[in-house]
Amino acid sequence: MSTRDKPNQQEPDSERFSSIKTKNKYRNNYRKNKLLFLFFKPKEQKKNTHYKTPNPKSRILSRSIPNSNPIMLTVIVKWQKEVFKAVEIDTSQPPYVFKCQLYDLTGVPPERQKIMVKGGLLKDDADWSTVGVKQGQKLMMMGTADEVVKAPEKGPVFMEDLPEEEQVVSLGHSAGLFNLGNTCYMNSTVQCLHSVPELKSALVKYSHSGRSNDLDQTSHMLTVATRDLFGELDKSVKPVAPMQFWMVLRKKFPQFGQLHNGAFMQQDAEECWTQLLYTLSQSLRSPGSSENLDTVKDLFGIELASRIHCQESGEESSETESVYSLKCHISHEVNHLHEGLKHGLKSELEKASPALGRSAVYLKESRINGLPRYLTIQFVRFFWKRESNQKAKILRKVDYPLELDVYDLCSDELRKQLEGPRQVLRDEEGKRLGLKANEKSSGSKDDDVKMTDAEGSSNASGESSVTISQEGVPSDKETRLTGIYGLVAVLTHKGRSADSGHYVAWVKQESGKWIEFDDDNPIPQREEDIVKLSGGGDWHMAYICIYKARTVLM
Amino acid sequence: MSDPKSGAGTSQTKAPAKDPKKKDEKKEEDLSEEDLALKQQLELYVERVQDPDPRLQKVALESMRQEIRTSTSSMTSVPKPLKFLRPHYGTLKAFYETMPESDLKKYLADILSVLALTMSAEGERESLKYRLLGSEGDIGSWGHEYVRNLAGEIAQEYMKRQSEEAPIEDLMELVQQIVAFHMKHNAEPEAVDLLMEVEDLDLLVEHVDSTNFKRTCLYLKSSARYLPGPDDMLHLDIGYTIYLKFEEFAYALQIALSLDNMQHVRQVFTSCDDMLRKKQFCYILARHGITFELDDEMVADDDDREALQDIINNTKLSESYLTLARDIEVMEPKSPEDIYKAHLLDGRASAGASVDSARQNLAATFVNAFVNAGFGQDKLMTAPADPLSGGSSGNWLFKNKEHGKISAAASLGMILLWDVDSGLAQIDKYFHSNDNHVIAGALLGVGIVNCGVKNDCDPALALLSEYIGKEDSSIRIGAILGLGIAYAGAQSEQIRSSLTPILSDAKAPLDVIAFTAISLGLVFVGSCNEEVAQAIILALMERSESEFGEPLTRLLPLGLGLLYLGKQESVEATAEVSKTFNEKKRKYCDITLLSCAYAGTGNVLKVQNLLVHCAQHLEKGETHQGPAVLGIAMVAMAEELGLEMSIRSLEHLLQYGEQNIRRAVPLALGLLCISNPKVNVMDTLSRLSHDTDSEVAMAAVISLGLIGAGTNNARIAGMLRNLSSYYYKDASLLFCVRIAQGLVHLGKGLLTLNPYHSDHVLLSPTALAGLVTMLHACLDMKAIILGKYHYVLYFLVLAMQPRMLMTVDENLKPLSVPVRVGQAVDVVGQAGRPKTITGFQTHSTPVLLAAGDRAELATEKYIPLSPILEGHVILKENPEYREDS
Repeated sequence: MSTRDKPNQQEPDSERFSSIKTKNKYRNNYRKNKLLFLFFKPKEQKKNTHYKTPNPKSRILSRSIPNSNPIMLTVIVKWQKEVFKAVEIDTSQPPYVFKCQLYDLTGVPPERQKIMVKGGLLKDDADWSTVGVKQGQKLMMMGTADEVVKAPEKGPVFMEDLPEEEQVVSLGHSAGLFNLGNTCYMNSTVQCLHSVPELKSALVKYSHSGRSNDLDQTSHMLTVATRDLFGELDKSVKPVAPMQFWMVLRKKFPQFGQLHNGAFMQQDAEECWTQLLYTLSQSLRSPGSSENLDTVKDLFGIELASRIHCQESGEESSETESVYSLKCHISHEVNHLHEGLKHGLKSELEKASPALGRSAVYLKESRINGLPRYLTIQFVRFFWKRESNQKAKILRKVDYPLELDVYDLCSDELRKQLEGPRQVLRDEEGKRLGLKANEKSSGSKDDDVKMTDAEGSSNASGESSVTISQEGVPSDKETRLTGIYGLVAVLTHKGRSADSGHYVAWVKQESGKWIEFDDDNPIPQREEDIVKLSGGGDWHMAYICIYKARTVLM
Repeated sequence: MSDPKSGAGTSQTKAPAKDPKKKDEKKEEDLSEEDLALKQQLELYVERVQDPDPRLQKVALESMRQEIRTSTSSMTSVPKPLKFLRPHYGTLKAFYETMPESDLKKYLADILSVLALTMSAEGERESLKYRLLGSEGDIGSWGHEYVRNLAGEIAQEYMKRQSEEAPIEDLMELVQQIVAFHMKHNAEPEAVDLLMEVEDLDLLVEHVDSTNFKRTCLYLKSSARYLPGPDDMLHLDIGYTIYLKFEEFAYALQIALSLDNMQHVRQVFTSCDDMLRKKQFCYILARHGITFELDDEMVADDDDREALQDIINNTKLSESYLTLARDIEVMEPKSPEDIYKAHLLDGRASAGASVDSARQNLAATFVNAFVNAGFGQDKLMTAPADPLSGGSSGNWLFKNKEHGKISAAASLGMILLWDVDSGLAQIDKYFHSNDNHVIAGALLGVGIVNCGVKNDCDPALALLSEYIGKEDSSIRIGAILGLGIAYAGAQSEQIRSSLTPILSDAKAPLDVIAFTAISLGLVFVGSCNEEVAQAIILALMERSESEFGEPLTRLLPLGLGLLYLGKQESVEATAEVSKTFNEKKRKYCDITLLSCAYAGTGNVLKVQNLLVHCAQHLEKGETHQGPAVLGIAMVAMAEELGLEMSIRSLEHLLQYGEQNIRRAVPLALGLLCISNPKVNVMDTLSRLSHDTDSEVAMAAVISLGLIGAGTNNARIAGMLRNLSSYYYKDASLLFCVRIAQGLVHLGKGLLTLNPYHSDHVLLSPTALAGLVTMLHACLDMKAIILGKYHYVLYFLVLAMQPRMLMTVDENLKPLSVPVRVGQAVDVVGQAGRPKTITGFQTHSTPVLLAAGDRAELATEKYIPLSPILEGHVILKENPEYREDS
């Protein structure tokens, strides 16, 4: 660095070396340099490096050494943050020897060393006299013994390189559906049902040849068309035109093909929904299997136990039925979904009373006796106005929750069954919330409730799919329903009357995000905007909701 | 003494001389007895003056003079004796003409000269006329007002005589007196103004003393900004001489640097013999980013010289930056997700994709590089190998696609910025890769690490020059750009001789040639080097018409322009040569050269010239308007007033301009307010970021990043976050949003991109060159930034500097002292010791300085060796300090 610590050229100060590693003793003079080579060889082999060592002996011999007393220079070598003071250069030796010296100091193999000498690199075979190194000069060495960076054998796959159908995964939601002329009712229905993964997997299993004899041709065709359409929706990034499905649907249910002024008429999404589900329940019933499983019923079917009571005669009877949806009746006193559902489970009917011998008013009170994995709720927003002879729409605002508990709509029997799982769920939730509180400090991203909700639903879907695949295998644990449901899809209607307006589907994705499927245009939405679809204005209002069961493993 | 009824504020004008006559008559009755006596007395004097007896005349004149002198001290109204003598001005004048030549006549001339102060008609300059005819006594004895008036008349008279080529000696004598008077009486601006009018500023040096030189120089410096050349140079030169005279070396150095006069810089070093102060000079030079070699004339001792050169070479910059970071506690590396803050965007953000998007990964690479710039650690590139994924630390590198790997490998250079020793060690392993893109990135990274830092061994040159001639063009570009960035401003002959042959190489692809031109421009920035200019011009001539349409060709004229950055007239010879090009090429080159040559001068005429170009509506698809718009910003960014005006003009361009102008306007705004988030500009850019033209929107988004660069500005961060959800489907715009987010959090808020430093006085040429290059590349966003040349974003590294105040003791070890940091106040031309900052808070150093902030020491214990508390400041213990007990 400076002239102050210029060492004696001929007689290296032995004290100086005490600061340097003991290895350095090999660098003292020409003779020892030779030693260094001898020392070096086995190391090379051991390390299994493959650089060619110039035969040092022959080099040295071939070189005519002009002076029996070779010129020794002392330089300072800087390597990373380390500084090696007083490294000697034997100028009669090629720089490669110097590099070997440095290898000893740093462990960087000579061919990985880059030694900077005033704006140039030191070449292995350069002549020291032309390099112009001076006594006490500072040299900089670059190089590491690190592993050379290699590309991973399997490089990452980039979204930009993927074929179109695979890009959809990264989009985080499936594609939209083109409107084929007032077919928004159909599009939104398909999108809502498409959000049920179990239905999708059931459809995939449905094979072309699987048509059983008791199934008519058109039902089969519609099932196949549904399956294909669902498949297409999953694959595509661009909106899909559901031509085939639309044709088959019209064929099966000619009422959807009604024309008005040369264009297809507006239809009721609920009707489409019901008809489609009915068809699927017919076709997806697998008679071949031993359990005689009705997939659709298993997924959507609600068992109702009703008590029919005639106040006049005091007659009482009970019956059970299976429905695919619960109706939410909207009257003046209904503000919340829960009230509407309660309302919907009570009805009056007039029928012939065997005791009275005439028709009398019977009160029918139903309670849920069996819960489905997917609870469908229909808001009865359209009714037939007798006085004006037309379908009218109830615009009343009816709030619905993101999480629905139907416990008090259940029969006593069912309640008993639910009690255990509900306790487990509560415990789990409590635990999770407790855990969350700890995690929060380390940067929990979402607010707690939403987090658990999203996790819960994804867990549930994971579990249920597991159970499906393990149907036959008896396991110690089984998934049990809790009577608590989380909202997964909403079908809304916008408009003042029943025969006009627009249907849109709002579907929660597996990632927990909501997408509004407005025909061919999927729009991301926030969760708090979903509960705002409760009506009371001209905005979209919920017509059909799908709730997914929260389950526990017991 | 003054008459309250005669009105305030008329003291300095002669305007009330004409109209108040009527009022006077009316008022006559109201006069107090005392006034009446005075009036009669004066009237008597006037009569006596006309007396044939010279003795009586003399007595009368002397009495009159006495009366006037004793009353001129009032500043708020016309003194009474003058008022009462007004009606007699004509009489006295007439009598004067009849008087024979004598001392008395001169006496009378003196009095007439004073009376003319309020009486003489506009433009008559009678005050001056009689003054010159008078006895030439002490000028100050007649009061301030008289002197000021005289100064004004001298200026007019001087102009007249100049045009008539009449002698001016008598005037100059008077000027001497007036200047001396002004300088003694705290009226330095007036003195400077007068000398400016009579074009003899050199006189100033004789008159300044230790009490007034600071204010004088301050006025000289700030007025220089509004003067046309070469007057501004002259002002600064005088300021330099004065500072040197009073040994205010740091200021002298500042002026020397703003003049870009290396002779002056040398002189500062040779005239100062205090080692500590020289160290401070070195810190100033280091911040300015110029290459400067000390010789033994400047510093005699070898060891000392080495120590000083180390400071100039910025070898310790990384260390003090990390000290700052540790003090502010921001060492923890940040990941791009920490910057995106997607969780604040409810629902709308794109889902956590399971598949890597090359473009988004590239954006993350840049964000990671910008945010962790200089910290030496991050979570993507330098993070230790994750045992779970089983890969080496090269993992992230290979999550980038093809040319993306160049930027990814180079980002390592950004993360290890200024830390040459460990930086090169970490980059080294990438040289052994078998992927050309990775090697290219490593080369560029070596350049970035060495940006602004010089090392004795020149490792960058040694490493990079090997690769310049390689076959693969991306490796070549990596090496060429690396050299350009590492040696910006170095004017190294070695680099010139190795790079210029590429320009004339017929086989070299266009992108290699374009980047070679830019690198040469950077290395020789502001040097007016003719050989380099020749080489680039030749390369330009060889470009065919179709090649000229290529997006990267725009870098050739820019490289040429950078050679003349801020050099004003020196560009003219080269501009002449460009006239030989065909029209389209010529216009583009002309505008680029003009805007570069006048960059940072604030020259209003050039701004107007450029505006004219923007006002045209083009039909032939010319592209010169984009550079013209950027040029407006480059020229006008010099001072606050011009800056505000050009922001307004740019608003107009937005409304009336063609599309290619509208695309450049956001970039120009970004340059004008770089690292200075002005709310009005922020709003404009926010509006433009939703523009229907996607290129306007992209430019606006990038510019939002530029104006907020290194500020962590919450408002811009919020805007960008919302934009990220708004554009979540548009990959290109999202990329821009991400880049902007990275810029806002540049160096976790410790860095600035502002090329101006030292109280907005000095313009670092390399910093400006880096910014301008990046902005010119942004003029064709789609082809360059969004294409495969995204690494031009790394040109910003040239402008990156810590926005800190670091105080060090005499051994250059960090020293924490209390400082007040507040909004800077303009104190030019203010008397006394005005407050220089307002709304301050007290911190202890090291401390961050925002745009427009100024710091002052809050303790008397130390004396700073630099008057401008920015960057590194050496503190010396105050020997007079007594600890309060």
